[in-house]
Amino acid sequence: MPGKRPVLLAPFRHGVKNRFFPGNSLPFRTLAALAIGILVCLALYRIGFRVVTYFHNQNELGIILSLKIFQMAWVTVFAMLVFSCMVSAVSTLFLSQDNEIVFAAPITPRELFFMRYITTTIYTSWMMVIFSLPIFSAYGSVFKAGPLYLPLTLLAVFSTATIASAFGMTVTVGLVNLFPARRTKDIILYLSICFGIFIYVMFRLLKPEDLVNPDKYSHFLDYLSSISNPAAPYVPAAWAANLLSLYLLDRQVDWLLVGLMAITPLALFFIGEWTMDRWFFSGYSKSQESFGGHRRFHHLFRYRPRAWLWVFRKEAKLFLRDSAEWSQLFMIAALIVIYLYNFKVLPLDRSPIKEEYIANLIAFLNIGLTGFVVASLSARFVYPSMGGEGGAFYVVQAAPISMGRYLLAKFFFYAIPFTALALILLVFSNHLLKIEGPMWWISLVIGLVITWTLVGLALGFGSLYADFKVENRAAALGGIGAILFLFTAVGFELMIIVAGGIPVYRLVVKNLAGEAVRTGDLLMLVTWIGASILLSVGVVLFLLKKGIRRLEEG
Amino acid sequence: MSPQATAMIEVERLSKHFGSFAAVDDVSLAIRRGEIFGFLGPNGAGKTTTIKMLAGLLKPSGGRIRIKGIDLAASPVACKQITGFIPDRPYLYEKLTGIEYLQFIASLYHLPLDRFEANSEQLLALFGLTEWRNHLIESYSHGMRQKLIMASVFMLEPPVIIVDEPMVGLDPKSARIVKELFKSRARSGTAIFLSTHSLEIAEELCDRIAIILNGRIRVIGDLAALRQEARLEHSDLEEIFLELTGAYEVREVIAALKGMQSHDEEEA
Repeated sequence: MPGKRPVLLAPFRHGVKNRFFPGNSLPFRTLAALAIGILVCLALYRIGFRVVTYFHNQNELGIILSLKIFQMAWVTVFAMLVFSCMVSAVSTLFLSQDNEIVFAAPITPRELFFMRYITTTIYTSWMMVIFSLPIFSAYGSVFKAGPLYLPLTLLAVFSTATIASAFGMTVTVGLVNLFPARRTKDIILYLSICFGIFIYVMFRLLKPEDLVNPDKYSHFLDYLSSISNPAAPYVPAAWAANLLSLYLLDRQVDWLLVGLMAITPLALFFIGEWTMDRWFFSGYSKSQESFGGHRRFHHLFRYRPRAWLWVFRKEAKLFLRDSAEWSQLFMIAALIVIYLYNFKVLPLDRSPIKEEYIANLIAFLNIGLTGFVVASLSARFVYPSMGGEGGAFYVVQAAPISMGRYLLAKFFFYAIPFTALALILLVFSNHLLKIEGPMWWISLVIGLVITWTLVGLALGFGSLYADFKVENRAAALGGIGAILFLFTAVGFELMIIVAGGIPVYRLVVKNLAGEAVRTGDLLMLVTWIGASILLSVGVVLFLLKKGIRRLEEG
Repeated sequence: MSPQATAMIEVERLSKHFGSFAAVDDVSLAIRRGEIFGFLGPNGAGKTTTIKMLAGLLKPSGGRIRIKGIDLAASPVACKQITGFIPDRPYLYEKLTGIEYLQFIASLYHLPLDRFEANSEQLLALFGLTEWRNHLIESYSHGMRQKLIMASVFMLEPPVIIVDEPMVGLDPKSARIVKELFKSRARSGTAIFLSTHSLEIAEELCDRIAIILNGRIRVIGDLAALRQEARLEHSDLEEIFLELTGAYEVREVIAALKGMQSHDEEEA
């Protein structure tokens, strides 16, 4: 009955409409999110344009290198999309609360697949679509691509997203059936471990450091052929990359690839429907048996009447007992290893600029990079921590603890691991870059100020836009509050880094030249650090206060 | 001594507006020490909104609430310290065990160690949850969750208890225990504000009853006063409730349904 499919999408459609256009109006917050989104896209386009232009202006090698990065970006984005679809599919297909209503109705598993497929694809890939289009457009502009570039890019993005989604969901339906019922809910843990290993292996196989190191190859031609080879022909994302690379270079369209990209999503969708028809019910039945009732826990700590202690303990227990949450630590560990590995293999000695200068410049920019890592992890873990309390939040609202104190306890709970993460990233990369002197201290102080600010901002936005009805923490990332948090976080970081450029440059240059630092330069640096701290405290307090007011009003 | 002086919960001209809609409008009440106060009304009358405001979960649009003489708006933390709240839906932290949940609640209310140990064990045993104390709440049934929330509130021994639909999901044995607990707590001086749809429970437990209709108090008093107001001298609470909430059409619907049933029987 095809007539039921649009009906099944009605809750999602109405939900989106009510969220962004409540009462058929266009509220300020929607306009603000739209305006900030456009600004970020423009900024990404500008940055992408500059970087690609830089490569493009070098020589033929530069062009090939830029296309190699283009291919790597496609494959990485595809892998991330597949993984995030698999994680989301476990929740949307098997653990959604509305399953009881929808699946009890005369709906076939195929129709259910259609409903979940559309919503999961939108939830998991909207960010990739919005943020990748400006970068790919920048490639088009620099390469002065022909009129078909935009439609081909749109096809490539759409096809990659839908292939990733159909593949991820189909695999999940199969996997859930392979696990014993009691472990079904832990499936995300195993998926995360696999993904961590996959990312690491993929990165090691790609050997990105060799791209900037022609000496590794006995002949220059070997090097050229190794980097100009098209990406893996069996990975759908590589089809997109190869199709667009070919059009960018020669304005030729590979119609076979176009056909593959048009047909594969449909084929995978039908395979997904069939898989769902065959295995969904047994998997769904298993997932309902997988509650933790079989396990007994022994509490090691004696009761102490201290609210702070228990807020900490509660947060830790909720995190550590939810395999969907703590399993992501494996991914973070993989990210840290790759992050630091990049610094290890940086060919600083090949730079035309003096090695110490370039190392200091990278260390300075690394503050921003660390901030980006902190911002994205805050969006994943800190932002949803208020909404993640769910219906149980009434316990805190009704308890004799002020919302301010509760949020402060939460802030410290998250600030501690995030401080450790920032310190690892900053201290180890500084060590690998052989940074000493003022830059070491500056990166640490400003890095920590940014880290604490981002944790505070995530908590503030998370309180202000807390959705206590959201089914899983990851789903909160699709909300308007998460988008505003990310934009604000990136804006804040850019502001601090850009403002610090001149004072840090003056100080470091003097220091590297062995000259005495002028009082004026020192004053400028202190002013920058002081202003950064003031701005940070101001922004965080403002948002936390707004969040507290919103939570107190109920 | 005036009733106001001994009142544990005082509500003065309380109102709550959602946009232009008045969910609660000019409600005034006073609940005494040791009193079980029933709060009745049809669906959407404003019961849960009122209860949420009394528990400090929702900010009123107007009016004042005092718990044991303390202004809730001015000192919310002090008021919450002496108020136990039992909601109608048992949302809990799924990844905590039963005993961990009790510890968490006890620490939020700064319950001393000796009272925690004595009360928690006794209440877990009373509600038949001792065996489940070290299992995750996600494995509890609806009724077990409701009992755990009840245990957490009774454990605190607060002088004021606010409860929304206390018997939902409870088996008859647990419902009996809860009723006896309410009675015994009231005897020891606790003021209990109880919202319910069950007229039998209200009739059995409550010293006084208020009926709220369209956000306003329609009537307040003991059963005799309610009978007088409804001009139904020998009727039970259900008749009085239907009369006072203007649900005349219900009688017509019931008559029509009965008519349909007898018609079906004749045809059969």
